[in-house]
Amino acid sequence: MQYPIPPNPFQYTADQLAAAAKRVRRNIILMNSTTGAGHTGADLSEADILVTLYFSVLRYDRALDHPFRDRFILSKGHGAGGFYCTLSEAALIPKELLSTYQAFDSSLQGHPVKQKIKAVEINTGALGHGFPVAVGLALAAKMNRRPGRIFVLLGDGELQEGSNWEAAMSASRFGLDNLMVVVDRNKLQLADRTEHIMGLEPLQAKFEAFGFRVYTADGNDITSLLQCLDTWEATRKDQPSVLLASTVKGKGVSFMEDNPAWHHRIPKGVEVEQALKELE
Amino acid sequence: MEVSVETYDLREAVDQALLECAEAGKAVAVVVADSTSTAALKGFSERFPERLINVGIAEQNMVGIAAGLSLGGFTVFTANAAPFLLSRSYEQVKNDLCYSHSNVKMLGLNAGVAYGPLGSTHHILDDISMLRGLGNLQIFAPSDAREAAELVRYVCSFDGPAYIRMDKGPYPLFHSPDYRFKVGKPDPIYRSAPSTPEVVFFSLGTILEEAYSAARILSEKGIITALYSLPSIRPLQHADLLEKIAGTRLIVTVEEHSVHGGLGALISGLIHEAGMSIPVFKVGFPEGIFVKAGPRAEIRDFYGLTGPRIVEVLEERWKEGEMNDRWNR
Repeated sequence: MQYPIPPNPFQYTADQLAAAAKRVRRNIILMNSTTGAGHTGADLSEADILVTLYFSVLRYDRALDHPFRDRFILSKGHGAGGFYCTLSEAALIPKELLSTYQAFDSSLQGHPVKQKIKAVEINTGALGHGFPVAVGLALAAKMNRRPGRIFVLLGDGELQEGSNWEAAMSASRFGLDNLMVVVDRNKLQLADRTEHIMGLEPLQAKFEAFGFRVYTADGNDITSLLQCLDTWEATRKDQPSVLLASTVKGKGVSFMEDNPAWHHRIPKGVEVEQALKELE
Repeated sequence: MEVSVETYDLREAVDQALLECAEAGKAVAVVVADSTSTAALKGFSERFPERLINVGIAEQNMVGIAAGLSLGGFTVFTANAAPFLLSRSYEQVKNDLCYSHSNVKMLGLNAGVAYGPLGSTHHILDDISMLRGLGNLQIFAPSDAREAAELVRYVCSFDGPAYIRMDKGPYPLFHSPDYRFKVGKPDPIYRSAPSTPEVVFFSLGTILEEAYSAARILSEKGIITALYSLPSIRPLQHADLLEKIAGTRLIVTVEEHSVHGGLGALISGLIHEAGMSIPVFKVGFPEGIFVKAGPRAEIRDFYGLTGPRIVEVLEERWKEGEMNDRWNR
């Protein structure tokens, strides 16, 4: 039998998405400060991308077992906190779990684990792993003639891992127009700015040379993201695509924004109060 | 049993078994890294050309894509040279396959020193040792073509990652056509007399012919020997193995692998833990070296991995009284 493709269960408007992103950001601050764990800067950077995907773009059933559902892989596994807060907002994990983040044997480990959470497709955390797995998933969908699309979110620093470029080469060779690679391009990595450590630019030209259709967006602007992803869906053909999403690490909290120190710093005391105030 | 003089390539048997599994309706896909000819999967690739995926010379990508294909519903086999599979993409094997419990079966082709003269870049002396460090993984080493085919059928029967240590070229058949692989159990190959053996051999994979030769030479010298192959490194039923060595005076382990972390280390660890005091003579490559390159038979001979050399070294040691009192008494 032919199943219908499940729609996105929320189908939020841009305003609803912006409000959800704010709630996700507040939860990131609360969760990280309460549990004393997390990569706060990275979590805030990706929040708008994740909310746009889970509340508008991704087509999935709430049970996450529809054969035609879209799949999402968080290759930047250290962004687990932002991911968990998004999943909790979407009721894909219970809200109560957030207070157990990084506790002993918690379902919410420091990097996502599929045996603990159904929304996790593959256990990430080591960098440069999500992209090849996404290529395999997209290839399987093609081989099985299934309509589900594959989304993978990469950190930009992660692109220094060579395995990504092996995956890029093969995505193009296999003509995976069902694959959307989103790069959280906040230009910061653990030690410093990406361009100071091991420059990635010209990133657009690199992906184009690897046979990708390249989209660019303000990755902290939901309208901009939606526009790109809508165009992609309407026109995708024969080639894989990448969305270079310009983001700001620590977005939404002034003293964290674009500050390498907040890669995995945890807000405390007045910092928490100020952050929550800015996110009202 | 008497060993059949018939020889058969393990890869042909694997090809046949994969073809059977796929024809029986299993969604089998094979991923290679420019290793189509190494894998020698002629039957499968002719019948299911769209299910043989070549990712080019990119082992990390091969393993990642295999994990993705398994998430998309396929039972996936990777097929390339074991040294590149494991040395190059160990982290993908660890995270994408083992930690993530992906339904991917790795065929570690041409393991050990199968690539003899090509040198240490192409040898892998530590695949078992590396993989024993990983969770969730089942680890197997067939000793002949019939066992290789059985192992393919077996790994297709469960959901999860597995490694099969493979070899190329014709090897004698130690198993009859009706042989059925028993997971976790030592596989009895030879016994020189029905009474308790004085020397028990355990062998890993295709070097079984050398272990068999050593056991035969010793038995001709009047020593009662028994020989087991150990196709199932993990899972392994410890009690079953320990039962086989009760009352014996010496254990000889034979592997084309480093003695560090391989079959010999595994068995001597089990014996020690069980509180038994039986000496274990480990035949394999010494720890901490790269082996000399050359024709495989000469490598085996140089490092004492042939039947006659195993016996020669054993006899020297007995003469020098190096084995413990129990044996020399």
